[in-house]
Amino acid sequence: MKFYIFGVMKNNSNRITLIYVLILMFMAIIGHKLFVSYFSASDNESIFRYDYLKDLLYIVFSGLILKFILHQNEMRNKSVFEKLQLTNIEIKESNERYDIVAKATSDTIWDWKMEDDSFIWNKGIQGVFGYKKEDVGKTSKWWFDRIHPEDSLKMSVKLYSFLEQKTEKWQDEYRFQCADGSYKYVFDRGFLVKDASGKPIRMIGAIQDVTKQKEEEQRLRLLETVITQTKDAVMITDIDTSKNAIPNIIFVNSAFTDMTGYPAEEVIGKSPEMFFGKKSDILEFDKLKTAIQEYKECFVETISYKKTGEEFWINFSMIPVTDKEGEHSHWISIQRDVTEEKEKEKEREQLIRELTQNNKDLKQFSYITSHNLRAPLSNLTGLLNLIEDITIEDPELKEIINGFSKSTHLLNETINDLVKVIIIKDNPSIQKEKVLIKDVFENVFNQLSFLISVNKPILKIDLEDVTILDINKSYLESIFLNLLTNAIKYRDPNRQLRVTIATKVVDDNLIITFKDNGIGIDLEKNMDKIFGLYQRFHNYPDSKGLGLYLVKSQVESMGGTISVASTVGKGTTFTIVFKYN
Amino acid sequence: MLDKILCVDDDPITLMLCKKVVERVEFAKEIITAENGVEAIEYFDTLFEESKVNDAIVYPKLVLLDLNMPVMDGWEFLETYMRKDYDNIFTSTRFIVLSSSIDPYDINRSKTYPVIGFLSKPITKEMLENLKTQFP
Repeated sequence: MKFYIFGVMKNNSNRITLIYVLILMFMAIIGHKLFVSYFSASDNESIFRYDYLKDLLYIVFSGLILKFILHQNEMRNKSVFEKLQLTNIEIKESNERYDIVAKATSDTIWDWKMEDDSFIWNKGIQGVFGYKKEDVGKTSKWWFDRIHPEDSLKMSVKLYSFLEQKTEKWQDEYRFQCADGSYKYVFDRGFLVKDASGKPIRMIGAIQDVTKQKEEEQRLRLLETVITQTKDAVMITDIDTSKNAIPNIIFVNSAFTDMTGYPAEEVIGKSPEMFFGKKSDILEFDKLKTAIQEYKECFVETISYKKTGEEFWINFSMIPVTDKEGEHSHWISIQRDVTEEKEKEKEREQLIRELTQNNKDLKQFSYITSHNLRAPLSNLTGLLNLIEDITIEDPELKEIINGFSKSTHLLNETINDLVKVIIIKDNPSIQKEKVLIKDVFENVFNQLSFLISVNKPILKIDLEDVTILDINKSYLESIFLNLLTNAIKYRDPNRQLRVTIATKVVDDNLIITFKDNGIGIDLEKNMDKIFGLYQRFHNYPDSKGLGLYLVKSQVESMGGTISVASTVGKGTTFTIVFKYN
Repeated sequence: MLDKILCVDDDPITLMLCKKVVERVEFAKEIITAENGVEAIEYFDTLFEESKVNDAIVYPKLVLLDLNMPVMDGWEFLETYMRKDYDNIFTSTRFIVLSSSIDPYDINRSKTYPVIGFLSKPITKEMLENLKTQFP
């Protein structure tokens, strides 16, 4: 291209010279011819000839001068062009460099000419923020519109005050909207270009995407708040064990100061050994030392000492942390004052000990009582049996002995029930067997045949046919016996007793219901007492207040539950639920 | 009717009751009583000494034994009895535990001894009538 242009230039200068010479020569020849024809056959032909020759010589000479001038011109043009060419190359290279730098720094460059408010973005606006080329606006408004509303006011105030002050540098952090509507944290730096009068005419800026740094910064700040704000004391130590077995403290939070009374500056650079004292657990201290030697996490609970010398229970962890390369860099310790918990624990242990002892004593007591009551009672029964064979004539003595006999039998029953309760309570794991419920009922009816024959209740028995339970037969008997006896005992004297006994299998449960139309129990008053020990709800002379307590104990010892529904004057329903396999 | 029975119980009223009932149903001709295990062992010791000189000695075929006694209780008595090999000397002697409460655990424990039954106090005529059939 360069040579072509030069070629054309050379041809041109030669041609121009040639044409100039030819035209002048043509004019000279024509002029000469005309001149000769006007002054035809004149005398001075030689003079004309001389003039003619002279003209031609002038023409050739002026042609030569023109040629020289043209050549000079050409040479100047050439050097200017070469200079231009070099500048061009420099500009191009500079442009490339700028592009590469922008790419390398991932900066998005903008160029704002204030006079006509033209705003030019480099490719970063597409690459970093996802805008399409055609969507990128060409004025400063487009830029301002994309600044997060929360940041825009602060940012524009800063920017305009900068423009007013006419300083050269400006930088700010704000959120800039991407094409998808999300915001990126950016760091924007601008430089102002001024005209000769010092008026700003142009501003060039570079936007850096700092979203990641910003997020990391926020995350770190959040994590830092956790450490500084937490109610747990936090202590960080280095890993240097050359001077002390437990490395020196480099950080403590305010909760630590609250807990120990030591401000940070008094403990930093010192070993946590200073918190151990006379009453501290030496075994726990050794455990900590070993853990530190082995870089293993460790949990310690010991008595520690505050700045005031006051002792307290501390519970703390010591956890090794590693840096990015996986090298142990620090120990982090979370600490808690557990004095109160310790004391409560102690109290609880003491309470449990006392309760266990009490319970043991009571159990022993009840055994002894029942046995010691039983022995003389059985004598009384035996002696009364003997009296039965003797005919007593004295009616008063007979009456006395009758009363004596009745009381003895009642006492005997009570003690038998009590002993049963003791056995149930002391024997949580009882023998269980397969029991046919029908058989149990037959047994119960046989035992109650006298009562049944006297009171003639209407018994409606609705038992599922092959109902077999994995339970204790004698308990079940006792339960049925108690419930049925209760139903008969507490019948309504004004109407015939009706008892409905039914079993039903629902899912995994066997439900047994005992329903009577007796006098009922006021449950609103007595709900919490009904299955209690020695609770009597009716003024009956032979009521001991033991039956339902016994029933509940037996049901529960077999993993079942019992509930009651009752209306005074209408009747009572007991529902027993057992697991059914 | 048995010739001899032994009643071991620390409660004198129980012993008295025992005697009366035994007499009523004519269960045994003679009732010997001991107030605890030691006395009972001493009784068997004496019988053992006598048996060395007298082959035709009459020893109790039935012992009614209380478990809960001072000095030496029923179990200790049974152990001593076995240790002295008296079960091979008084071969016909059987034991019935007469106790105010029957613990299933005790029934299991008795299986290694010549105990043929557990009876709940008080002793009754019916019990003895029933036992009669086991001792012809």
